[in-house]
Amino acid sequence: MTHPARKPTLIRLFIDSVMAHRLLWALLGLFALFPIVTIIFDQPFWNDIAMRIMVLGMAAMGLNLALGYGGMVSFGHAAFIGIGAYSVGICDYYGLTNGWAHFAISMAVCAGLGLVIGILSLRTSGIYFIMITLAFAQMLFFLFVSLETFGGDDGMSIDRADFLMIDLYEPLRLYFLIWLVLVIVASFLMFIVHSRFGVTLRGIKSNEQRIEAMGLTPLHYKITAYVISAVICGIAGTLFANWQEYVSPDIMHWTRSGELMIIIILGGLGTVAGPLLGAIVFLLLEEFLPELLHLFAPAYAENWMIIFGPLLVVVVLFGRGGISGLITTYMPKKSDQQVRHD
Amino acid sequence: MTSPVLELRGLNKSFGALRATHDVSLAVMPGQLHALIGPNGAGKTTLIQQIYGAMPPDSGSILLNGRDITALKPAARVRAGIGRSFQISNVLMDFTVLENGIIAEQARQRAAFTFLQPAFTDPSLIAGAKIILDRVGLLARANQRVANLSHGERRMLELALAMAASPSLLLLDEPMAGAGPEDSRRMTEIIGALHKDVAILLIEHDMDAVFTLADHITVLVEGAVIAAGTATEISANDDVKTAYLGGDPQ
Amino acid sequence: MTFSLILEQAFNGLQAGVTLFLVAAGLTLILGIMDFVFLAHGAQVMIGAYAATAISLATGSFYLGILGAIPVTFVCGYLLEFLIIRHLYRRDHMDQVLATFGLILFFNEMIRIGFGPAALFSDLPTSLSGFVEILPDVPYPTYRLAVIVVGLLLAIGIHLFVSRTKLGAMVRAGASNPDMTAALGINISILFRFIFATGACLAGIAGMALAPITAVQPGMGEPLLILSLVVIIIGGIGSVRGAFIAAILVGLVDTLGRVFLPAMLRLVMDQSAADGAGPALASMLVYILMAVVLVFRPTGLFPVKG
Repeated sequence: MTHPARKPTLIRLFIDSVMAHRLLWALLGLFALFPIVTIIFDQPFWNDIAMRIMVLGMAAMGLNLALGYGGMVSFGHAAFIGIGAYSVGICDYYGLTNGWAHFAISMAVCAGLGLVIGILSLRTSGIYFIMITLAFAQMLFFLFVSLETFGGDDGMSIDRADFLMIDLYEPLRLYFLIWLVLVIVASFLMFIVHSRFGVTLRGIKSNEQRIEAMGLTPLHYKITAYVISAVICGIAGTLFANWQEYVSPDIMHWTRSGELMIIIILGGLGTVAGPLLGAIVFLLLEEFLPELLHLFAPAYAENWMIIFGPLLVVVVLFGRGGISGLITTYMPKKSDQQVRHD
Repeated sequence: MTSPVLELRGLNKSFGALRATHDVSLAVMPGQLHALIGPNGAGKTTLIQQIYGAMPPDSGSILLNGRDITALKPAARVRAGIGRSFQISNVLMDFTVLENGIIAEQARQRAAFTFLQPAFTDPSLIAGAKIILDRVGLLARANQRVANLSHGERRMLELALAMAASPSLLLLDEPMAGAGPEDSRRMTEIIGALHKDVAILLIEHDMDAVFTLADHITVLVEGAVIAAGTATEISANDDVKTAYLGGDPQ
Repeated sequence: MTFSLILEQAFNGLQAGVTLFLVAAGLTLILGIMDFVFLAHGAQVMIGAYAATAISLATGSFYLGILGAIPVTFVCGYLLEFLIIRHLYRRDHMDQVLATFGLILFFNEMIRIGFGPAALFSDLPTSLSGFVEILPDVPYPTYRLAVIVVGLLLAIGIHLFVSRTKLGAMVRAGASNPDMTAALGINISILFRFIFATGACLAGIAGMALAPITAVQPGMGEPLLILSLVVIIIGGIGSVRGAFIAAILVGLVDTLGRVFLPAMLRLVMDQSAADGAGPALASMLVYILMAVVLVFRPTGLFPVKG
């Protein structure tokens, strides 16, 4: 007998959400425990791969809010990652090394820029929208290439930020900072996609005309989702800059946005965990496909893209729902109310 | 003298040389079921688009409950009290019937912009959604995915969503389009029951439904009103007979 | 800032514009008529450049290179549409983006395997390697002038084709209302294939024309792809006329902007600020132009869809 109309506590909501997103939390748990594996096998550089996966997955999750849930095929999100990364670099350049400040500035600039680009781009739809977001991203790319003060084409090196008393150069400190931010972002997204806002956003993707006919203004929802996704990408960029200790305009080249999309589709479009799963698959492929080629065709080891390109075409032509779709297809389904949302 | 729910005053719309709407005026009174009929190409859809706000008229004004809404966008008009069903069902295919109702209910409550509380398990939204679905008898199909519904059921859902915000005016654009005889009969019943609470402007080709339901009929031919009156008056009107020769096979 | 410098740069801008038009013309039709996000269009430019360069190196004749490369690019476009593209028309844009992105990776890598990652040596044909005086005492490279002339001739040819022939009428119909065109019984699949192959060929010609004056290397087509997208946004999707006007505009703004903006800025601000802001602003100029057009005309300057 349920209590009518009493709002569930936040804890209760959180637990319910975690249960509905088991794949997501399994992956997050895996990342938390992974350093143990690297310690056992004494391969610290594996942590680097894991950090890259977490950051890339975070950015892809951000884009997925706009793309997978909102239906906005934005080709410009790498620009926001770049802005997040350059926030650290530029602040460093002017002597501002406080990590909190980096995050605040990165989020503020991405929110502002996301708002402007979003408003301008969302005046259009379909192919126009894709092209316009692509063009804006390239504009920012060229801007940073031409800013000689901040390294221009060559980029600039970065010191890891100061976070209160945490020294990010100590092993695993940065790892768990990234992990913690990932958990926060994932939780946030987990709540959003089931919230009234999220459900309306998905409704807009499903049939924008009907949502309008319900008395809502789809543009407000789309812009909000776009800005949130831009901010998340900015956060990912800030963390990435700390990890790589270097930033260059390449981080915001339009092909990076393409990579984000590949990751999303590899993992499964309209799920929260999908992009994280996709990031795992993508980066592991990037690491090991050249190795495989070394074994079979050493002369062509550098050209692993030759497999990846057609692989992508094949996945698009024949695969639907990505890898997380495959997983949920073969898991037992509960009743309608408890449908898996991963 | 009661004031009309919807009033069109001298609406005009041209596409180049084509006059799609020619000085159209009409009024829909409270509780009235007002049918808009005319041969194909008469400009009925264009007129509905202008009333809904998807297309601006070249001149003329549109009043809803005495308020001039000519400059308002569709979403604002819906909030002002217009509900619309589309000729081709605009239901949310990727969700269940109940979820469609919930999304409509939270829009009705003007409370769709929250980020934390889940929507589909919210008791107040579910309760409101059930009311919406019950109006058209779709409650039994609440957990069915809309993609699995029959065509007739989707038209019902379309109608339910149009009614969701308890509008003062319902714009029904060919609700029976593509419906078989059984579904048409049910739809006619439901619309008939609905129109006690809400004024309806109905575009339909199904003449049985029109003559059963309509309190008042306006006939549109080539963008202009050629006749308006009760069902009896219209069926006796020579101009209408000429324009509509043979009636409509339905 | 002499008059001859301005004139020379204006001609350069014109040359950039016509080559950009050749790339954009096919793409605007693919985007507008087939509603297909064909990102791999830049690869067509690259294929054209490599085909022409390879043939001319093998035969020793620049002109044979062009002559041979034209059918190569046409066939490439034809096969690509037939084998892969036509299966993707019904898919949503995201799928098209990803598939064509995969094609870019594939083509770039194929070229890298076949010709190596370094730029290919492609030289001006001796017959066109001199200078022409476009005005007394104003010499201009003959080759670039030839590119302008050929480009304009092709533009006129395309215009005549689209506006005077029956096939061209079908293309125009397809641009303004694809569904209706199909409903009228016109064989849409053949029409699409033809448009695609022709667009590929035009892009290839742009590549061939550019080969002697730019770096023929893997990935050379992508910058042109992005710029042609800007051109199409400004001109209006589906409009060949819009693509022409926008391409010339973009070519001029980009070329003249890069050369003169830093100098102009130095007039209003101090040296170091101008030197810092100049190149940055110049590289963003066409995108700013695009944004301005978007604010006032979200569907471009010459929208086609009614």
